[in-house]
Amino acid sequence: MGNLIHPDFKRSAKSLSGELSIQSLHKQYRLERNYLNVLENINLTILPGEFVSIVGPSGCGKSTILRLVVGLDSDFQGRILLDGKPITSTSTDRGIVFQDHRLFPWMTVWENIAFALVNSDLPSAEKRDIVSLNIKRVNLTGFANAYPHQLSGGMAQRAAIARALVNEPKILLLDEPLGALDALTRLYLQAELQRIWIQHRSTMIMVTHDVEEALFLGDRVVVMQANPGRIKRVVPVPLEHPRDRSSPLFHRLKDEILADLIDTDSTAEAKRAKSLALRSDLG
Amino acid sequence: MGLVFLKRLKGLVLPLVLLMVWEIASRQGRAYALTFIPIEKIGRSLIETILSGELLTNLLASLGTASTGLLIGGTVGLGLGSLMGLYPRVDKIIGPVFHSFRQVPLLGWIPLIGLWFGNGCLAKTLVVCLASFYPMVLNSYAGIRNVENNHLEVGRVLGASRWQTYRYILIPGALPFIFIGIYHALAFSWISTVGSELLFTAGPGLGGMMQTAQMAAKMDIVIICVASIGVVGLLMNVSLAKLSGHLLRWRSTR
Repeated sequence: MGNLIHPDFKRSAKSLSGELSIQSLHKQYRLERNYLNVLENINLTILPGEFVSIVGPSGCGKSTILRLVVGLDSDFQGRILLDGKPITSTSTDRGIVFQDHRLFPWMTVWENIAFALVNSDLPSAEKRDIVSLNIKRVNLTGFANAYPHQLSGGMAQRAAIARALVNEPKILLLDEPLGALDALTRLYLQAELQRIWIQHRSTMIMVTHDVEEALFLGDRVVVMQANPGRIKRVVPVPLEHPRDRSSPLFHRLKDEILADLIDTDSTAEAKRAKSLALRSDLG
Repeated sequence: MGLVFLKRLKGLVLPLVLLMVWEIASRQGRAYALTFIPIEKIGRSLIETILSGELLTNLLASLGTASTGLLIGGTVGLGLGSLMGLYPRVDKIIGPVFHSFRQVPLLGWIPLIGLWFGNGCLAKTLVVCLASFYPMVLNSYAGIRNVENNHLEVGRVLGASRWQTYRYILIPGALPFIFIGIYHALAFSWISTVGSELLFTAGPGLGGMMQTAQMAAKMDIVIICVASIGVVGLLMNVSLAKLSGHLLRWRSTR
């Protein structure tokens, strides 16, 4: 990290691709005979190289959006376009990191990361270079031959990030990537994620429960609400990276977003959202 | 080091005690000596059968039957178990037939197999195939079904083909179960080899050698056969444990 990064760095030449456009997206689940609206009329355009955080109560469909964008689920109405092309299935131009690291326990760190290149046409020497570069990128040098069970949660998650980065995806999706980690590791990895984002310059979308984390990393924070899952508000974060968590604006934005999350109608849902927001405040 | 050595010796205590009891029993008179053959006499016969090549020929024949049967039955079992685990439709079509066939004890097939395939090598191998087939089907099925959907999703995200998914995700994910299958298949194949040799007596094999010796009242040879079968079985188990320890080294040791 170190030097200050201006918000307009993302308009640099390398990151002209990676524009995600979500247009009138609807998704329903079928529960026996009833339809449950998981996502209702989601419209969101994410610029190339932009970091967007999504916060919202459980059940607001924020992780579902990522599953749709990555292509694991194609049962939706509306359009999802990456650089103008509709998304139909999974592809290596989109990477994802899940909350559970999902490394294959039978592969070493090296093998796990290299597996992401299983269908790449690159010569094997080049593949080796790419894998070791990405291991270095997430600071796991020296652990290439370790098996996942030998790693701490934070290290495993970093290996998962490396695996997602290996194909140089245009867009990286982060589904509560730090949610299962302890508070200290989380702070450390937030800084790491920011460093990787700055170096990698790809578009990133991160779903999180933690409002502070969303503000620390995001150029914009999308606040969602549940039943049906929809976007309540999109909050721009006009602060330079790396952000000072103690700055007055940071605090004001945090309070605003927390208020947004708590301020839903006074139903049982509201209580649930409130407790969640409070928890993420503590976290 | 010394302690480890002593610990290993512990396993030898019981066999040594049994040998001593055996030897004492054999010295209780002529009648006893017929059933409890003196160890010294067994030793002499052992050297004889080794030098004449009789033991080795029969042992190799048995090992050949066991490994052929294990390889064929195990591979087909792994294939069918995988298919049933992967495709519910295959499971629905083949499952009921498989599970009803499985209820018939191996011995129940002997008359039919004898009728159709004679009482030679083919019949024996077929029995062994069946013996290793069942546990491999059951365990590879369970193993494939047990692979986490989370891991399969990673394969989809990374664009793995069907074969790559099978080779790099499903098989390794199912490997702990598959090894349980191999353990059972190995034990059953060895047991059924000897069993089928006792029943289908044509051709060489430890079972046949035992049968012949019994009819000639050569109890020392019978005992040598029994002991060889036990020792070989033990060696197989130990080497498989080593192999599975290596291939499953990625599992955390609790």
